[in-house]
Amino acid sequence: MKCAICSREAVENGYCELHALAYRNILKKYELWKKATGVSWKEYLSQIAKNPFTGEWAKEVAEHLVETGEEHVGT
Amino acid sequence: MERYTLIITEKPDAAMRIASALDLNGKARKAEDNGVPYYLAVRDKLIVVVPALGHLYTVAEDKIGRNYYPVFNFRWVPRYIAERGAKQTRVWLETISKLASRADAYIDACDYDIEGSIIGYCILKYACGGKETVAKRMKYSTLTKEELEKAYENLLPNLDFALIEAGRARHEVDWLYGVNLTRALTLAAKDWSGKYATISTGRVQGPTLKFLVAREKAIRSFVPAPYWEVKAKIEINGEIFEAEYEKEVIETRKEVEEILNSCRGKDGIAENVEVKRFRQMPPTPFDIGALQSEAYSLFGYTPRRTLDIAQRLYLDALISYPRTSSQKLPPAINYEGILKSLSIVPEYKGLAEELLAKELKPNEGKKEDPAHPAIYPTGNLPERVLEESEKRIWDLVVRRFMAVFGEPAIRQSVKVRINVNGHRFILRGRQTLREGWLRFYEPYVRTEERPLPQVVEGQKLRILQVFSEDKFTKPPPRYNPGSLLRKMEEAGIGTKATRADIIQTLYDRKYVRDERMVVTELGFEVFELLEKYCPSIVSIELTRNLEERMDKIQSHMEKRENVLLDAIEILKPVVEELKSKERVIGEQLSKAIRKARVEERIVGPCPKCGTGTLIILYSRKTRKRFIGCTNYFKKQCNTAFPLPQKGVVRPLGKNCRKCGWPTVQVRFRGRRPWNLCFNPECPSKGEGKI
Repeated sequence: MKCAICSREAVENGYCELHALAYRNILKKYELWKKATGVSWKEYLSQIAKNPFTGEWAKEVAEHLVETGEEHVGT
Repeated sequence: MERYTLIITEKPDAAMRIASALDLNGKARKAEDNGVPYYLAVRDKLIVVVPALGHLYTVAEDKIGRNYYPVFNFRWVPRYIAERGAKQTRVWLETISKLASRADAYIDACDYDIEGSIIGYCILKYACGGKETVAKRMKYSTLTKEELEKAYENLLPNLDFALIEAGRARHEVDWLYGVNLTRALTLAAKDWSGKYATISTGRVQGPTLKFLVAREKAIRSFVPAPYWEVKAKIEINGEIFEAEYEKEVIETRKEVEEILNSCRGKDGIAENVEVKRFRQMPPTPFDIGALQSEAYSLFGYTPRRTLDIAQRLYLDALISYPRTSSQKLPPAINYEGILKSLSIVPEYKGLAEELLAKELKPNEGKKEDPAHPAIYPTGNLPERVLEESEKRIWDLVVRRFMAVFGEPAIRQSVKVRINVNGHRFILRGRQTLREGWLRFYEPYVRTEERPLPQVVEGQKLRILQVFSEDKFTKPPPRYNPGSLLRKMEEAGIGTKATRADIIQTLYDRKYVRDERMVVTELGFEVFELLEKYCPSIVSIELTRNLEERMDKIQSHMEKRENVLLDAIEILKPVVEELKSKERVIGEQLSKAIRKARVEERIVGPCPKCGTGTLIILYSRKTRKRFIGCTNYFKKQCNTAFPLPQKGVVRPLGKNCRKCGWPTVQVRFRGRRPWNLCFNPECPSKGEGKI
């Protein structure tokens, strides 16, 4: 199976190794954002997608999650 | 012709300097044989000084051919046999052999380090007919007349065979790694795609790429987190200062609002004033790594460029031997003499005289090099007009040399703790009380001066504003050639002579691009393949271990043969694994090469349609190159711009400062690169600069 974003092989949650790493970071950092600003999962994703410090792969994953409307586990 | 002493040097410039220094009249005669220069000097007897051209011998496989691996049998051969571009070394070796046949004494005067020792040893052994056992060694760290004469009068009785063995081991191990791994990758890609592209890796190159890939992954997968900083504007004696909230990072918006609300409209009380005086010691003398880092941060020179400049200054006898890892300056270099000579230069006069008036004791670092001291100016003044870059490096070395003899600087830090309605803010000040060595290193000193007016405990302070700043955590910085070199040094991989070249190779192979180093798709792919199929090759631990063992050969604690055998033991299964997976590796690499070639041509987003990408294209019809939008192929955008047809064009990766369009760089051989904004309506048109 191919990665949901690039042409690499998917290894975890439908993502390749590199995008999976970004996905894990997105999940981990959401806890900080929620505590800091009380932001919703959707709002968080759109904010990090346009943040200049967000890495390229994390941006791609965030945009993909916005497009697919994937809910955050536990929200 | 009478019998003479034959001196072998590493480079032609060194030969000329040595011959002139040793000739009693200071006028060595230049002669030529088949276009190869050599010099005749008269001293106690006739001396012939002949230069090499760097390495004239190299390691090569026993069997001729480039399209096979594994290769574990090798020998040392003249470079013209092993390398296509080294034809000129044949006549060079013929001349050396001819001159050696008429000599009755032999001196190796190549640079006193691993590379120099190998160069001299190979020439004496192979080109001079086994004279390595009778040859003497000239050891010097500068090419000044005094030091060269002294080195000639006090020749070492033998070559340094331990250093030579260490050098041979290094060359042989590196060759084994480089040739086997590079051929495995290159042939895998070629066999799959039918197209040739060199995909190289090596013993140090792989682990270096590992540092870059790890950083790239951290940057590209980075997700910032919000935080806040709270600050207060405070008026003291009519001046406004900014104090920081005692908790530097505030993690929730709620907490920020509470602080702001609580401090609004309140005055502050200076609760505590802490004044600390501290001594800032002078810097240590430059070793090559420190010089390369400093030149990168001050002038933006790559480590390779700095090394080349330093080498030229050394050959001009302006600075001492640059490939040193020492931070020591022994008194034997004659501090006083150097400073006296430097005091002729108006810019250094006052500073040098000030140092000469006191006892000279350098602030040395811990690092030592058995062969050479730290880098220092010889005291000689330029005999030619130096290029701007050479002037800068020479000045940097001179000022650093003077600074190490300076007094410690005395600096003062002031920390005022201000209570605003129960919340504490910190006002910080910093100033220099006594400049000490800072004056000697003046243009290159980076100290912050933030003096504060006198504040006493209990003093009431007017708070003009308390405000917050929205912040985000930032990804780790990208490596640049300077910081990568430092990382390699810290990790103990590569040598002072090879690190800069390894970084350059990563650029040449297109594994990285840009000054702030970005790993390309190809770089990622090569690294991932290595990590997947031969993790030992990119293991920093293993590389460092091998490095340490090779160092031990130099101090007779390890044998070259053992290191070599162990290296082959590590390499054999790796190469076998690569061979068995040749097809899959070839496919992956070929795809990555194709992608990388496209990546190289991407200029940026199309400013006309906004959805396509501008790319450098070649017209089959006109055979001309131009910039076109990828949406043209979908018949959605026909944006196209002409490009110069000569020179090499590459996307700059930066947008035009005037119009914001992507830009390209055009390079012509021997000319300054031209940064071009291709927007015909850009306001920069006619101004010449973008």
